[in-house]
Amino acid sequence: MTSLIPILTLLIFLPLCGSLLVFALRRSEAAARGVALAFGLAELALCLWPLALTGEKAAGAPAGYFLYQDAAWIERFGIRYTLGMDGISLVMTLLTAFITLIAVLSAWQVKERAGLFFSLLLALQAAVQGLFLSLDLFLFYLFWEAMLIPMLLLIGVWGSGRPVYSTIKFFLYTFVGSLLMLLAIIALYLMHGAQSGSYTFALPELVHTSIPYDLGLWLFAAFLLSFAIKFPLFPLHTWQPDAYCDAPAAGTLMLGSLLSKTAAYGLIRIAFPLFPEASRAFTPLIYVVAVLGIGYFAWIAFAQRDMKRMLAYSSVSHMGFVALGIAAWSPVAVSGALLQMVNHAVTTGALFVAVGMLEERADNRDLSGYGGTWGKIPVFSFFFLVFNMASAGVPGLNNFVSELIILVGTFRVAPLAAALAFLGTILTLVYTVRLVQEVVFGKEKKPLDLKDLSLREAGVLGVMALVVVALGVHPGPVLDLFRAPLEVLLKP
Amino acid sequence: MTLADLYSIMPIIITAGAALVVLLCGPMLLSASLTAIGVTASAAAGVWAALSTPTSTPAVAGLAFTPLARFLIPLFCFAAAITLLLSHSYNERRGIKGEEFPATVLFALFATCVLPCATNMLILFLALESVSFAFYILVSMDLSRAESGEAGLKYLLLGAVAAAFTAFGFALLFTGSGTLQLSGALARPENRAIISAGWGVILVGMAFKLSLVPGHLWTPDVYQGAPAPVSAYLSTSSKVAAAALLLMLLGLSPPMPELRVPLAALSVLSMVLGNLAALRQQNIKRMLAYSSVAHMGYLALALLSGSRDGYAAVLLYGAVYTAMNLAAFGAISSLSVEEERELITDYAGLGFTAPLRGGVLALAMISLAGIPPAAGFIGKFFIFYSAIKGGAITLAIIGILSAAASAHFYLKVVAQLYMHRGEAPAPRPVSLAEGLALCLASLMILVIGVYPGPLLGAIEAALH
Repeated sequence: MTSLIPILTLLIFLPLCGSLLVFALRRSEAAARGVALAFGLAELALCLWPLALTGEKAAGAPAGYFLYQDAAWIERFGIRYTLGMDGISLVMTLLTAFITLIAVLSAWQVKERAGLFFSLLLALQAAVQGLFLSLDLFLFYLFWEAMLIPMLLLIGVWGSGRPVYSTIKFFLYTFVGSLLMLLAIIALYLMHGAQSGSYTFALPELVHTSIPYDLGLWLFAAFLLSFAIKFPLFPLHTWQPDAYCDAPAAGTLMLGSLLSKTAAYGLIRIAFPLFPEASRAFTPLIYVVAVLGIGYFAWIAFAQRDMKRMLAYSSVSHMGFVALGIAAWSPVAVSGALLQMVNHAVTTGALFVAVGMLEERADNRDLSGYGGTWGKIPVFSFFFLVFNMASAGVPGLNNFVSELIILVGTFRVAPLAAALAFLGTILTLVYTVRLVQEVVFGKEKKPLDLKDLSLREAGVLGVMALVVVALGVHPGPVLDLFRAPLEVLLKP
Repeated sequence: MTLADLYSIMPIIITAGAALVVLLCGPMLLSASLTAIGVTASAAAGVWAALSTPTSTPAVAGLAFTPLARFLIPLFCFAAAITLLLSHSYNERRGIKGEEFPATVLFALFATCVLPCATNMLILFLALESVSFAFYILVSMDLSRAESGEAGLKYLLLGAVAAAFTAFGFALLFTGSGTLQLSGALARPENRAIISAGWGVILVGMAFKLSLVPGHLWTPDVYQGAPAPVSAYLSTSSKVAAAALLLMLLGLSPPMPELRVPLAALSVLSMVLGNLAALRQQNIKRMLAYSSVAHMGYLALALLSGSRDGYAAVLLYGAVYTAMNLAAFGAISSLSVEEERELITDYAGLGFTAPLRGGVLALAMISLAGIPPAAGFIGKFFIFYSAIKGGAITLAIIGILSAAASAHFYLKVVAQLYMHRGEAPAPRPVSLAEGLALCLASLMILVIGVYPGPLLGAIEAALH
C-alpha cells in the first residue's frame, strides 16, 4: 500500500497546498489561522506514518533508504525528481513538522496580514521538507534557495528594529555562499559525467566520482562556505544576531531551529560524503571554528542585555557542538551531532518562543526590565527555567545527552578539541544562570502588569518541555534511527 | 514559389499585413480595435510559426523558415503581443494617440521575424536595421515628454554608428569570401585575416546593440526616456534579435578562437560594471537598464564557449530574459499614473495596495536575481553550466559573484514593495489587457522555472 501513496511528495506538497489555500483565504484572519493550524497538524501526522515503515525496503532505493521516489524531470541535464527517506531524513522531517506547528501556534497573535504570514510559514516548511528529502543535488539546491524568499519576507515584513537591513544582510550572505556552491555542483556534475558517461545529479552516484585532490579542496571549500554561512560558523555569523533579533518570534524559531539545521544536514549528507579526502583536510579548521564558536559566542552572549540577542549568540554557541561532532566524523560523534540538532531546535526554539511571549506582554526584551517573574507568572517562569536548564546542559534534560555523546565521540579522535569544547560549556552555564537569575528570580526592577500564560501558550511550552524531558531521559529510539543511515554515510 | 513556400513565410506576411492594415485603417477604427488587431496578428503569426515544420530551402530569395526561426518567431510574437496589451491603457493615460504606435510595434515585429529567416547577409542587415529603425520611432513616441525625444535622438545617433560598424563588418566578410550567402560567406579559411577583421567590426556593432560595456552608454538614458511598454519591448526583442544574429553567424562559421578574448573582455566588463552601476541607481528604469547590461554579459559568457551548449544557453536565456523583462516593465507601465513612478522608493507599499502588479514586479525581480523557482535561475544555471563546460572557470566565478551582488538591488525593489509604507498616489485598477499581459509573463517565468523540459527540447530542435 505504501508504494501506492507517494508519502514523500505529499510531505512537500501538503504544506505547499496549505500555503496556497491560506493565501487564498488571507482576507479572513480566523480562517487563515485555522487552516494553517490544520495543515500543520496534518503534516505532523503524515510525518509520523513513516515511523511504522522503517523496516521496509523501497524498490530501487539506495542502501539505507526505506522510502524512495524517482521521476524524470529535466532530462537534458539528467536532473531527476528523486526523494528518499532514511532514519536521518525521517527525524529531520518530524522536527520540521513539529517546529512549524509550534511556529504557527506561537504566531497566533500576529495581527497584521496574518494570512500572508501563515502562508509564508507553510511555504517555508515545504522548502525545508523538500531539502531534507531530496537525493538529487540539483533538487537539493533548488530547495536550499527556495527557503530564502519566504524567510526574507517573514523577517522584512513582520520584523522589528531594522528588519529591512537585517533581512537583506541575511539574504546576501546566504546567497553569495550558495551561488559558489552552485558552481561547485556544476563542476562536480561535469566531472562525474566525463568519468562515468552518465550525466546525473543523483547523490548516491556522485559519491563515486574520483576527484583530484587540489580540485576537491576548492569544491569542498565552496560547499563548506555555503553551509558555514547558514550554520553559522565563526567568523561568518555576523548576519545572524541581526536577523534573529529583528525577525518576528515565529520567524526566529524557523530560522534558528530549522534553517541552521539544513546547513548541518547539508554537511552530513552532502559535503562530507562527496569529498572524503578534502573534508579530512578541512577537519582541523572546522575543529578550530567549532571550538572557538562554542566559547566565543558563549562569552558574547554573557555580555548581552537584550534577551533575544543573548539567545541568538547562545544558539550559535550550541551549534558549535554540532560542527564539532560532524568534524569528528565518527559514528558516535555524528549521531551525537544529529541528536544535538534536534535538541537544539527544541530547546533554543522554546527559549525564543518564551522570550517572544514575554516581549508580547511587556514590549521589552531588555534584561533590566524584568525580574522576579517567579512570583508573578509562575507557569511561564517554570517553563523558562526548564528550558534554560536544558540549554545549560543539566543531566536528565535533552542537551546534556547529545553534548555528552559529541564530546565522547570527539574525544577519541581529537582530545584537545573535546577538552576545549567542554570548557566552553562552563561559559554556557554562566550566561544561562544570569538570564534566569535576572528574569525569573531577583527583585522586580520595573513594575510590570504581566499576565500568566494562556492555555494555548502553556500548551505550546508544555509540549516542548515534554519533548525536552523525553529526549533527555530516553533518547534511544532517535539514536536507533540514525544507526543504519550512518553506517552507509560513514563507510570508508 | 510554391504554396508551401508561401505557407512557410506566413508569419512574416501576417505581421507585415497587419502592420499595413493598422496603418491604413487606423483613422477609421477605435484604438482598442487596433490593439486587438495587433494582438491577434501577433498571436496568429506566433502560433503559425510554432506549428509549421522548418525547412532549409529558401522560400523566396534570401528567406528560409529555419529551425531557429521556428523557435524565435513565437518568442518575438509573444513579446509584441504583451507590449501591445500593455501599451493600450498606458497610452490612454499618457495621451499617446494614433495608429502609429501599434503599427510601429507590428513593423518591428515584422523585422524581428525576418531576421532569423535570413539566409543572406543583406537581408540580415536590412532586418537588423529595420528593427532598430522601428525602435527609434517607438522610443520617441511620447511627444509630450522631452525625455522621450531626447532618448530617441541618443538611440538614433549611437544606433547609426553601430549600424555603420555592422555594415562595414558584413562588407569585410563579403570581401573575404566573395559571397553574400550566409552559408558560404563564413567558411573560407584562406582569407582568415579579412574574415577575422570583419568579425571584430561586427562585434563592435553588436556590443552597441546588445549594450555590452563599453557600448552600453545609451542604454540607461533610452530605457528611462522611452515609454515603459516600449522599454519592455526594446529590452527583450531587440536584444534577442541581436543575439540571434550573432548565433547565426557563429553557428555557420568554423570555430573562431580569436573571438574568445574580445568576447571574454566584453562579458566580464558588462557583468561587473553593469551590476556595480545598477547598485547605485535610484531610478528603477535606469537600474533595469544597467541590469540588462549585466544580463547581456552573461549571454556573452555563454556565446564565447563556442559550443552547442553555449548557443542553447543563449536561446534559453533569451526566452527567460524576455519573460522577466516583460513582467518587470509591464508592472512598471501598469503602475504608472499620470507620471511614471521613476524612483524605486515610489514603489513603497505597492505590494499590498496593488497586489497583482506588485507581485508580478517582485516575481520579476526574484527571477532577475536568479532565485528558484523563477525562470531566471534555470537561465543562469544553463549559462554557468556552459561556461564551466567550455573551460571559462574564472569568468564563471567572476560572473556568479557579480550575480550575487546583483541580488542586492533587485531585493531593494522587493523590500520597497513589501517592507516600506508609501505615500505615493495609489495606482488605478488594473485593466483587463494589462492583467492578461502580466499574468502571461509571470506564468511564463514560473513555467520555465519549474518545468523547463519542453522549452529545452524546442531549443535543441532550433539548433539543428
